[in-house]
Amino acid sequence: MGVEALQDMLGDSIITTTLGKLVSWGRANSVWPAQFGLACCAMEMITMAGPRYDVGRFGSEAMRASPRQSDLMIVSGRVSQKMAPVLRQIYDQMPEPKWVISMGACASTGGVFNNYALVQGVDKIVPVDVYVPGCPPRPEDLINGLMILQERIKAQGLRSQL
Amino acid sequence: MKTPRKAVAKGGERDERWIQVAPADLPTVLADLKQQGFASWCFLTCVDHLNTPLLLQPPERFELVYQLRNITSRELIRVRAYIAESEPSAPSVHSVYAPAAWDEREVFDLFGITFSSHPDLRRILLPPDWVGHPLRRDYPVGGEPVEFSDDHQSWQTAPAEA
Amino acid sequence: MDSLQAEGITLSRESGPDELKGEVLTVNFGPHHPSTHGVLRLVVELDGELVVGVKPHIGYLHTGIEKQMEALRYQQAVVVTDRHDYLSPLFNNHAYALAVEKLMGVEVPPRAQALRIIMSELCRISSHLVWLGTSALELGAMSLLMYCFRDRDRVMDLNEEISGFRMHTSYIRPGGVMADATPRFWDLLARFLNDMPGNIDEFENLLTANPIWRARTIGVGRLSAEDALALGATGPMLRGSGVSWDLRRDLPYSGYEKYDFEVPISDQGDCYGRYLIRVAEMRQSLRIIGQAASSIPDGPCNIDDRKMLPPPREELETSMEAVIHHFKLFTEGYSPPPGDVYAAVESPRGESGCYLVSDGTHKPRRAKFRAASFVNLQALEKMALGGMVADLIAIIGTADTVLGDVDR
Repeated sequence: MGVEALQDMLGDSIITTTLGKLVSWGRANSVWPAQFGLACCAMEMITMAGPRYDVGRFGSEAMRASPRQSDLMIVSGRVSQKMAPVLRQIYDQMPEPKWVISMGACASTGGVFNNYALVQGVDKIVPVDVYVPGCPPRPEDLINGLMILQERIKAQGLRSQL
Repeated sequence: MKTPRKAVAKGGERDERWIQVAPADLPTVLADLKQQGFASWCFLTCVDHLNTPLLLQPPERFELVYQLRNITSRELIRVRAYIAESEPSAPSVHSVYAPAAWDEREVFDLFGITFSSHPDLRRILLPPDWVGHPLRRDYPVGGEPVEFSDDHQSWQTAPAEA
Repeated sequence: MDSLQAEGITLSRESGPDELKGEVLTVNFGPHHPSTHGVLRLVVELDGELVVGVKPHIGYLHTGIEKQMEALRYQQAVVVTDRHDYLSPLFNNHAYALAVEKLMGVEVPPRAQALRIIMSELCRISSHLVWLGTSALELGAMSLLMYCFRDRDRVMDLNEEISGFRMHTSYIRPGGVMADATPRFWDLLARFLNDMPGNIDEFENLLTANPIWRARTIGVGRLSAEDALALGATGPMLRGSGVSWDLRRDLPYSGYEKYDFEVPISDQGDCYGRYLIRVAEMRQSLRIIGQAASSIPDGPCNIDDRKMLPPPREELETSMEAVIHHFKLFTEGYSPPPGDVYAAVESPRGESGCYLVSDGTHKPRRAKFRAASFVNLQALEKMALGGMVADLIAIIGTADTVLGDVDR
């Protein structure tokens, strides 16, 4: 009785899943990035949102200007010492659950510029989930990074972020 | 172009004309050149000649270089002034050329040369609480030590051979 | 009115002691903002919607490029030059390459000059496309962003075909260019030159006679010719105010004198005039590329000086001198004779130059980049005062500043 009878009646039009899988499926396929274009990598990030690479297919076309409405911060570009506190403030303003993709060599490790002026890797300031290397990475690289992040989000389920 | 009277030296290697003046004469000489038609501002910068291997040593450590352009006669002129390390200051020329305001702030920020009678002399590129003047030759490039680079002797992963 | 009077409310237009007085509001247009085209911070003082004060604060993208270049050899430093004005990397490369070649006293062969001009003008088109797409986006014409980036991707394809990189190709190097063009490159270029004029017509159809675009840009951000010259503006900021000055035509370099092109000028001095200039510049760039591509001479695309450029790898197997040259170039690098030079090119933003000081060693003593955006940004205050805060967005867009260029 019960579920089997229901299933016989309704056939294939119901699916059973866990709440965690449902929530993380929703989160993963609608990751809204905060516009955080700093330097050259921002051009490739905008190209990713452009017609040829079309990140809208992945649900990430809505690049919100306000950090309070976004889930993902793509740090695209070099972070100078003056910009570091601003970056941290924007990260703090994002509501949970939030993720960070460090796009490009400068955001990941300081890149070509191993000098006084840049923070040598944005992971010194914010926790990073995915590093996308390149100078700048191709839009396809960044979409690959986004897809890796989507897998991580789906695996996270309902567990709160550490 | 008529060489201003106050020019101490002049030259024209590689078809690039330059004159040298004493720092105190900078506003008058630049005003004279502007009168002659060199009204277009190219740049102001400073060169630090600390420990230079040149055979002909420059007279002082810092050299201020102004580059001006005459749009009607299509000429360029460079004005040099040598500033001593013991007294790194020069008169501001922002009253003659308005765009000099930011260039002078940048030279102050990166080299530490103060410009008297500048309306707003404070750091422009670095955070306001930065200590030191990075583009001086005795300021290190900074960043992180990298193995197998030129300065790897100062940082090794493995202990020296026993 | 009668209903209000019945309730005992009277409306009076006379000013009395209870008149509302305004206060100047200071708003932070922070470094993180969608419309500042980068990390520019403006502290804006507003009297209602009227802008009464604008103070730019820069330095949020200061990368220490000039210090970095003092720690790199001349041939290594080319890759760093790409990255300060990141929308027009080839122009930075070109200025640096011209400066180094002047110091070394060499001149590149004509084929290299033609290739440099073709890639530079393609870079100018891609920079203006980004400018148009983002400026239109700021003022509400969002579809243009998609159109412009579609065409920019075609320029990136050309970059990729000739050098292997989409952006930051470091294609123009001291001594010549990175690599010769492939047959597929000429094929793609021919198709691009065929399609692009129609695409530019598409952009103009959307904007030039559009009443909303015209209302938001005509009369906004006026800069008179005297002000533009006094503030040191160059490029479309200067030509938009009626001053006819373009380094490509007036002080030709790298073979620009061989080509026939116009320099668009506008005497309106407002955002609309500068928009028309930049769109016309795109068309003129297509013209230059067409002429360069059809008249490109055969020959080497690099100078034949082993003291500056490495020998081809096949020679290393047979010639001892080639091995020595290769070794010297890749360990120590070449050392120009002492001196200082200034080389300037006409970038999409204005006069972009490199002042290079050599002390006879294999690393530069000082590499200063004359950034067009650094000087153009000082004109922002002049253009924005007295306008509305919404016009400020249009003015930031028209100034076309790249913060990498401003902050270096």
